[in-house]
Amino acid sequence: MTPRAITGFGVLSAVGIGREALMAALRQPAPKRGPVTAFDVTGYPDAATHVAEVPDFDPTRFLGDKGLRSLDRQTKLLVVAARLALHDSGLKKDGAFVIPGIGPEQVGLCASNAYGSLEAVVELDRVAVLEEARYINPAKFPNTVANSASGYVSIWEDLRALNVTVSDGNCGALDTVTCADVYLETGRAPAIVVGGGEALSEALYVASRRLGSLMEGTLLGEGAALFVLERVESAKARGARVDALVLGTGTAFEPPANDGSLLHASATAMESAVSSALRDAGVAASEVDLVVSGVSQSGVFADAELEGFTRVLGAGVPVAAPKQLLGETFGAGGAMGMATAICWMDGAACGAMARGAVSGKVTTVVVTSLGYYGNATAVVLRRA
Amino acid sequence: MSTPLPRVFITGVGVVSPVGLGRVDFFRALAEGKNGVAPIESFDATPLGREMAGEVKGFRPQDHLSVAEVRHTGRCSAMTLAAARMAVADSGISPELLRGPRTAVVIGTTMGEADVIADLDHAWIKRGASAMARSVLVKYGSTLLSVHVARAVGAQGMVLTLPGACAAGNYAIGFAADLIRAGKADVVVTGAAEMIQELQFSGFVRLAAMAPVRCQPFDLNRQGLIVGEGAGLVILESEAHAMKRGARLDAEVGGYGLSCDGYHITRPHPDAVGSIAAMRGAIERSGIGPDDVDFVNAHGTGTRANDAAEAKVMSDVFGARRVPISSVKSTLGHCMGAASALEAIACVMTLETGIYPPTVGYETPDPECDLDVVANVARKGKADVLLNNSLAFGGYNSVVLFARPGALPVPVSILTASVGRLPGPQPSKSGA
Repeated sequence: MTPRAITGFGVLSAVGIGREALMAALRQPAPKRGPVTAFDVTGYPDAATHVAEVPDFDPTRFLGDKGLRSLDRQTKLLVVAARLALHDSGLKKDGAFVIPGIGPEQVGLCASNAYGSLEAVVELDRVAVLEEARYINPAKFPNTVANSASGYVSIWEDLRALNVTVSDGNCGALDTVTCADVYLETGRAPAIVVGGGEALSEALYVASRRLGSLMEGTLLGEGAALFVLERVESAKARGARVDALVLGTGTAFEPPANDGSLLHASATAMESAVSSALRDAGVAASEVDLVVSGVSQSGVFADAELEGFTRVLGAGVPVAAPKQLLGETFGAGGAMGMATAICWMDGAACGAMARGAVSGKVTTVVVTSLGYYGNATAVVLRRA
Repeated sequence: MSTPLPRVFITGVGVVSPVGLGRVDFFRALAEGKNGVAPIESFDATPLGREMAGEVKGFRPQDHLSVAEVRHTGRCSAMTLAAARMAVADSGISPELLRGPRTAVVIGTTMGEADVIADLDHAWIKRGASAMARSVLVKYGSTLLSVHVARAVGAQGMVLTLPGACAAGNYAIGFAADLIRAGKADVVVTGAAEMIQELQFSGFVRLAAMAPVRCQPFDLNRQGLIVGEGAGLVILESEAHAMKRGARLDAEVGGYGLSCDGYHITRPHPDAVGSIAAMRGAIERSGIGPDDVDFVNAHGTGTRANDAAEAKVMSDVFGARRVPISSVKSTLGHCMGAASALEAIACVMTLETGIYPPTVGYETPDPECDLDVVANVARKGKADVLLNNSLAFGGYNSVVLFARPGALPVPVSILTASVGRLPGPQPSKSGA
């Protein structure tokens, strides 16, 4: 692919809000977690052990106190991340576009979530079941649609080029980079905000418990990470700071050997995705300094992910697991990986390792995500 | 600045709709104006004061899916998979050619497996968390629509769901075409699906968007939409791939336009600036002009705001020229995420037959919608270049241009995003 420039990002994660908070947290061995406020934890005595929410998240600090009542948590996280990213990239200052020739019509959004409408669906279902469907709140009905959060970002941040929502489970956030590359390549907008968001909710917590994933040690996280992706020449022309270059992307799918199971931890898909991303990037396996993986727990999915990229990159490449710090964020997971990768390229101490250790400068990174159904995605980043 | 791009063709279609399965029955029903709307049977809608819907009656997953697939799917995925199988069969493509990393799957939807989440939710609310079965939990997530199709056809490339609400079909087909143009796939199984479920039905009622009995797009006395459901899938191939296997070319996918209103979460911008840009973009990216367009398949929901906005788009893009327009939502209902995919297939069939399907129930012209509506009876006409218009929650706008093979110049990439500055009303950040 033609390299693309990441010219800024906004991140809200379990370790804080903004890139500085993430940088600082990565330098600490074990960031402290605050109380769970995203949902009522009465009846879930172990929630604090398993849940890592965005600390002190007060959307009014960023968005003011008007117009927030009908927005769900997912939307607030995504809007704030977009605002931070647009300002960090220099496309906006004090809420307004400031680069000549780049305005609302030139900036698109491509954002992922895996379970983005869950909070609203459950809330309205509860009304429908316990009262009657005719009493559901119409102002909240749009939140049941998976593209609602992205739509609100366009309204709040005045983004009027393409607006695309992606759903590919854990791989969605990295997929948005591939999608945006296609949209940049076909000339749909000169700048596209990419990444993903996922909000904590009681439903997500309860579902994770039922599936047994929390028992295996997964920290359930939340947050949003969005990046401004531009053509390199456009970024250079406006004198933008380039945080990293996206050199290549790869996606792959492998169905299970038999159709008895729906879940499929596919090392083969991961191997194909990483091979394809390196090919797309024109980068040799030996050039990769670090894999920022989606590994969040022990078990078949972690094993498959590790095995898949190890087949391509060898066992000597250090492997980071930022989910140890940030928690599992599903549709935002790959974006959290990209954010930490940029921080590590920028000099933050490279912690949360699943394998090996980093010595020296981090220049070329492969970020990976493995889905639950046989899908895998990889993105190759290089320090600018 | 422009660069030549590969051509992309539709080589097969599959349909699950309220008026029939498969391309022939589907389009015959549309052309005849057959009514697909009837009292809803899947739940008791009486307390909501609205009871009409375009349900797919008698759809039996086991007629199209394996035993394991039936076990793994909700209704939306089952319809998706059935339509995918029909599209594959219709295209005549061999399983060997579909299998592998050069085949991608891109499916659009609004809510995906709505029955799965409803079952889980209801179990949780009524009987507690332990009542949520693990075997059902793993079936939840929009991504599964594309996963099921990929498993069935052996696709190993990009497998993606695009939840683009009521424009999802156009989003999926447009992006799928872009994947081929960008050289990232040779074949894409694409389209969209949606099922009717009580929560979303209730939501439209609570938004006061639902008509009591029938959907009458562009009519002065229109009272709103009627929800529908279904799945429309197509096989897209690069020209080189299609030619190599001697495929039948149903239609060329021309340019498509995307924009976002950034105005209101459910209502279209009253000046339709984003929609205008999307339609202009689709035409411009096809290397032709508005005068080349023969027919427009309308979004045409039958709501006052949508139809009026769409009329503004037609007036702005085509000026005094009255291009025939029609909305098959008058017969299918509004199949939400599946709508623009089913309508894309209607466009394919119009290209094949030269028949513009009618807008049923069009009785009294609305001065606010001064359009050449194909009223009540199908019309024969020139069908070389058609537009499929769609709008959606979130301010999503997407227009895809379909053309008779050979009717378009070589597609080009154009650096454009010519959405004008929005005049007039200010955006609503709260959704109110």
